[in-house]
Amino acid sequence: MIIRGKAWTSREYVMSFDMVVQRFWTSPIDKTENAKFIMAGVDAKYDQENAFKDEGYTFIVAAHNFAGGGKSIEHCVTGLMGAGIQVVFADSFARLQFRNAINYGLPFVTAKNVIDMVETGDELEYNLETCELKNLTNGQSMMTAPVAPFVAEVAAAGGLMDFIRQKIKDGTVGELR
Amino acid sequence: MTITEKIMAYNSGRDKVTPGELVWTDVFSVMTMDYLGKETFKMFDSLGTGDVFDKSRVICVSDHLVPPPTPQFATMLNEWRAAVKAHDIQYFYDLGRQGIAHQIMVEQGHVLPGKISVGTDSHANTYGAVGAMGNAVAVSDAAVAMATGKCWFRVPEQVKFYVTGTWQPWVMAKDLSLHIMGMMRWNGHLIYKTLEFAGPAIDALGMAGRMTLCNMTVDLGAKNGIIAPDQTTIDFLRPVQKGNWDMIASDADASYEAIYEIDITNLGPTVSRPDKLDDVVPVEMVVGTKFNKAFVGTCTNGRLEDIAMVAKILEGQQVHPDVNFLLVPASTQIMKDAIKAGYISTLLDAGVAVDTPSCSACAGIHTGVAGDGDVVLSAGNRNMKGRMGSKNAAIYLTSPAVVAASALKGEIVDPRR
Ligand code: SF4
Repeated sequence: MIIRGKAWTSREYVMSFDMVVQRFWTSPIDKTENAKFIMAGVDAKYDQENAFKDEGYTFIVAAHNFAGGGKSIEHCVTGLMGAGIQVVFADSFARLQFRNAINYGLPFVTAKNVIDMVETGDELEYNLETCELKNLTNGQSMMTAPVAPFVAEVAAAGGLMDFIRQKIKDGTVGELR
Repeated sequence: MTITEKIMAYNSGRDKVTPGELVWTDVFSVMTMDYLGKETFKMFDSLGTGDVFDKSRVICVSDHLVPPPTPQFATMLNEWRAAVKAHDIQYFYDLGRQGIAHQIMVEQGHVLPGKISVGTDSHANTYGAVGAMGNAVAVSDAAVAMATGKCWFRVPEQVKFYVTGTWQPWVMAKDLSLHIMGMMRWNGHLIYKTLEFAGPAIDALGMAGRMTLCNMTVDLGAKNGIIAPDQTTIDFLRPVQKGNWDMIASDADASYEAIYEIDITNLGPTVSRPDKLDDVVPVEMVVGTKFNKAFVGTCTNGRLEDIAMVAKILEGQQVHPDVNFLLVPASTQIMKDAIKAGYISTLLDAGVAVDTPSCSACAGIHTGVAGDGDVVLSAGNRNMKGRMGSKNAAIYLTSPAVVAASALKGEIVDPRR
């Protein structure tokens, strides 16, 4: 599958507690709801209903420790998905949100120095099968790390909850290892 | 193999595991707490298995919102209680028996050496202090673990900190945590990895210090922290755990992605400056900084040994009149022990406010939040803007010893002087 769209970038640490600010930590998990104030603490201009979503980004490109800061809340991932983000590229990801991303089937793709070839607003194209990332605005391209089979399996099932529901139904939970 | 690889292999029925591999393992216990608990049970119910995998191994704790500061939180707590009750959970630590979940998990023997436990809060890596693999997960993972007794993990790369030398007076495990933060920064060196702490200076640490070290590994960006069990671990767990456990340790020839040696003899009190945890300096560089709020508590530094350190420094003296000093024990058990030891009356005599166990001011949710212009000297674990309330407050993080000594003067001092 090929995904095409606009990128939002940051060289700074993008922290989980800024992606979802404190007043929403106790909100129910819901993609549309969680998207409304996503990134509100990253940039004050996004602290308005759907401000980030309305800019219409498909990709996020970041540097190290994306979504770090140790919050376990999955609102970070559901919020990004609700805002239309389909792939996140970074040098490294914080583990809690990396887990959440896998559980919801949102690709968090490790790509060394990816931030050096993309600026906010650039048009990107990403091939999920070949793992090639192209910047259509400046003509640069790179290969990213492939996605592990388990991750693809969970994504294909529609996320962890549906993946497990199917295993429960089949009576194969005990075989997970 | 390392202790981490052995634990992951044993709990997934394998002979060995390799970093990078994704495995499903058995989970010994699952913790969830007040503000995410209702959502966790809702997710669990949606899986349709009926009962949780083991009613004595799903541990529920009220810590972030108790006692409730607003009607909204009070209602949330009521919904949470109803969910816990409906699932017939055997261990429910609610207001009156409460404590910070991570403290309760270790103190009450709900985590064991060689086992894997998960919790819906980021500081679940505290469990590494007893040689368990403690992992923070989100509510979906916890729901799946509650239903199946299993969780998926990526086998982490492992980094060893070999710590030698002698702890200097007034220097605490917290100083080592902050020192490592300053040494490694947030630029990828520790992200997603397991930090194994070993060496004579770690052996010399009591359980409180070990918990502090493992607790803060999440703030360093790591997956978890772990310390192999020894006699200290056995002495600590025996009174609360009648069952047996494996004393798993790393092999002498185990391989690590990196090994860092630290000689603790040269380490002094350490401070993280406001907004970025990795902006760490020796205390000397911030001596003289004025502040108006002091806080000791949290899952990082709310234990008896921490309170003892504060009481020892404040004994017979008075907190500076410009400083509000709040101390909150991490659990009811610690509160009782601190009363018995006489620490609480020492603190009250010195002008410290002592509150009932909870997360308290740490997350800026209740009891003691920071307002505009506040400068807080805290023994907690996070100091980003707005963490304790107002975005216009500054938080310095340090050890209980630095907080106590500084509170006497109203400005940061070096407790060694
Ligand atoms: S004390 Fe602070 S860091 Fe620890 S669990 Fe509570 S809010 Fe989180």
